Amino acid sequence: MVGRTEALSRTLAGFLLRRLAASLLLLLLVLTVLFFLVRRVPGDPTQFGEGSRLTPTQRERLQELYGLKRPLLAQYLDWVSSVSLRFDWGTSLSQQRPVSAALLDALPATAILAFSGLAVEYLLALLLGIAAARRPGSGLDHAIRVGGLLLYSLPIFWLGLMAVLLFAYLWPVLPSSHMHSVDVDLLSPAQSLLDLGRHLVLPALVMGFGVGGGTARYVRARLLEVLGQDYIRTARAKGLSERRVLWVHALRNAAVPIVQLVGVTLPGMLSGALLIEVVFSWPGLGLLAFNAILARDYPLILGATSFSATLVILGNLAADLAHAWLDPVVRNEAA
Amino acid sequence: MDTKSFAPRLRLLATVLAAAALLAAGCRREPQPAGQAGSGAPHRGGTVVTGWTAEPGGVNDLILPASQPTHEMLFRVFLHLVEEQSDFDQHPPTFRPQLARSWDWSADHKTLTFHLRDDVVWSDGVPVTADDVRWTWQAQMSRDVVWEGADSKQWITDVEAVDPHTVRFHFSRVYAKQLLDANEGLVYPKHAWEKLPFSEWRKSGDWFKQHLVVDGPFTIGSWQPQQQVVLQRNERYYEKGLPRLDRVVMRLVPSQSAGLTQLLNGELDFLPQIAPGDVKRVQAAPQLQLIAYWFNVYVAVGWNNENPLFQGPEVRRALTLGIDRQKIVDTLLGPYGRVADSPVLTMVWAHDKSLKPWPYDPAEARRILAAKGWRDTDGDGVLDKGGRPFSFELLTNAGNQLRTDATVMIQDQLKQIGVQAMPRQVEFNTLMSQTNEGKFAAAILGFTMDTSLDLRSNFHSRSIVEGANYVRYRNPEMDRLIEQAASQPEMLAEKPYLDQIQQLVHREQPVTFLWESQRLTAVNKKVKDVRPTLAFSFFNLKEWWVEPKP
Repeated sequence: MVGRTEALSRTLAGFLLRRLAASLLLLLLVLTVLFFLVRRVPGDPTQFGEGSRLTPTQRERLQELYGLKRPLLAQYLDWVSSVSLRFDWGTSLSQQRPVSAALLDALPATAILAFSGLAVEYLLALLLGIAAARRPGSGLDHAIRVGGLLLYSLPIFWLGLMAVLLFAYLWPVLPSSHMHSVDVDLLSPAQSLLDLGRHLVLPALVMGFGVGGGTARYVRARLLEVLGQDYIRTARAKGLSERRVLWVHALRNAAVPIVQLVGVTLPGMLSGALLIEVVFSWPGLGLLAFNAILARDYPLILGATSFSATLVILGNLAADLAHAWLDPVVRNEAA
Repeated sequence: MDTKSFAPRLRLLATVLAAAALLAAGCRREPQPAGQAGSGAPHRGGTVVTGWTAEPGGVNDLILPASQPTHEMLFRVFLHLVEEQSDFDQHPPTFRPQLARSWDWSADHKTLTFHLRDDVVWSDGVPVTADDVRWTWQAQMSRDVVWEGADSKQWITDVEAVDPHTVRFHFSRVYAKQLLDANEGLVYPKHAWEKLPFSEWRKSGDWFKQHLVVDGPFTIGSWQPQQQVVLQRNERYYEKGLPRLDRVVMRLVPSQSAGLTQLLNGELDFLPQIAPGDVKRVQAAPQLQLIAYWFNVYVAVGWNNENPLFQGPEVRRALTLGIDRQKIVDTLLGPYGRVADSPVLTMVWAHDKSLKPWPYDPAEARRILAAKGWRDTDGDGVLDKGGRPFSFELLTNAGNQLRTDATVMIQDQLKQIGVQAMPRQVEFNTLMSQTNEGKFAAAILGFTMDTSLDLRSNFHSRSIVEGANYVRYRNPEMDRLIEQAASQPEMLAEKPYLDQIQQLVHREQPVTFLWESQRLTAVNKKVKDVRPTLAFSFFNLKEWWVEPKP
């Protein structure tokens, strides 16, 4: 038994190392492409907007101060070494502060929204997916499939605007935007938490419902696939209750691809659901990256996008590991 | 307007996404619509929540790009030496003492002495002195700080702190805008900020927030990035009894329409700008008040004068005659706009009232173009000459619905005279990049006018490289007139030259003026004594007050 566990650990460790190395290479590739792609976009950070009185001489001086006049390759090598060796993403040109500080400021808001949205999404998807899979072909199944497709097809910003119209304007029971009320400074910690909860309801529901319809269809499909397997028939033949068949045998096996889907979805949400953040004035990474792009704030754009890329790669890595851990076939092979 | 200072220069601007999404508007002296003035004695206390589509950039505008929210906030947090008044409709603007209680000139008019108030202190109790003024000037001129308003100080050779309450500006020449230029920029706290070398400033935005002391009516109570900034009363402000409000919240809203929704449901009390299409919603809400005032922006089609299509004043005039500008104004702006005809706005004292906008006359436009050799030789409906069709891209910034609509109307109207304009929207930064480099044919742009009436930036040939003459207009006569205007010892003496400049622009049409418009501000009626000016929605913020709840 001990030998079996050790072998499993060695196999997983080897797998992890291989995947980590591949992930790092992939990350470097993504950062390189991002760096050169961003610099190909017309305009530059010294191209200020309306009312700017910056003279050409001043623009040149700023470009010099920002290091933009050096050869692009030298800038790239500096940036890569700075990020990889010192974890320093540089200074935001539009906010005049470290990129890492700007990212860290925005991260909690995005994390709160992403995890809440994810919880809503999977709660909805599991409820609807299981309900539909239990009675395939029934009226309920049709309703869930059509409803899920409809929800998934609706543009998320439109869903957000309708939610604001309904619940903040026509029937004003929830705040329409922001993470906190105006008077948050005057609230106690408990009131502040409650206030955050109220503000979170609409964006989290919109985010969860916006993608939850599609995920429900996915859960249904995976469950139906599992429910058609031989071992489910065997379980039924053994006289197990339908509830036990579904919750213990079917759902556990269907969970593998569903967990993998979480691994792919969560990094996207964490890197900032831009449209949701814009519609609800939610102060997260998506909004930060969007404004950085408009301002051609190269370090901040690169910081935000490389952060997202890292999350996506780590998310996929985590999903692969979870798959390796959950899938009995993999476990048995390792043993 | 160039809100960097009260002494802004006329300059082209392609209006920002948020501000631009709507009207440029115009201004009038101090709008005070019926019902807006307070009834009874002003009340002290309370909070007003205002909505902005962009966040203030920071607390030190020497290292920040010009932005309306930044300056709205900072001008209530820091003081100028003097405060420019918005009384420029009949004469050049006058000034009111602020940090300086008075000022006087040397006999040769090359030295300007300010006598500072002795009762103004920073919020940590340290007095505001001449040293602050001198140190601020040094920061403004630093090559490491790169303040974008530094050009306004080019004729100032030294700023001398004579004693703690006397500061002297020395000029290398005499000209009309010496006071404007000396007053350009806010005065910052030397004792609090000198610890940080100028070379570190451009990466230390947070440091300035952490070491903030103020001398204006408000200070910054809290700052939640991408959410809101809370201004709160500076208890050490020198004007007793002001400000009246305890707090003013500058809350970020995702768009003007979202802001209006929040205003209607009571989440906001003040929205600095709404779209003309939303006026009815505001008027239908009994708790809201609309304030409309002419703003300091005109919108025009800039023709790239170096493009072979637009060379020669006759062709550009023909294009102006081929555009029904009144129809565009009526359709897009209704009563809140008027056809523009000059770079000096109608509301300003120096506007040449003898100018009459070119009429809509497609027949005359066709005749002029035919005389210049443009004919439809291949019968495709588009004029051509030497095998080249009269066809070009008409750019404007994406996200600005008003201008996008205008491009479509212009396309349709020019089609009637055989000219093919192809509308194209580009992202703002890209548009600015293209116009800066002259890589465009025609573009709808917003031009900001300020009270210094310096037309050099937009129409002097040197400004093609050094300034904002994006349309690349060259005319020695224009250069001469601009230089003569700038060399006058006082602004009133510039009027004859400004008239000639306006007439020359009218004849040559380097741009086709489209409209001037009003800025539409919506405010809850519980907020009293709100008087926005062309430069600032928050102009008299310290005097705002709210009626106490019954």
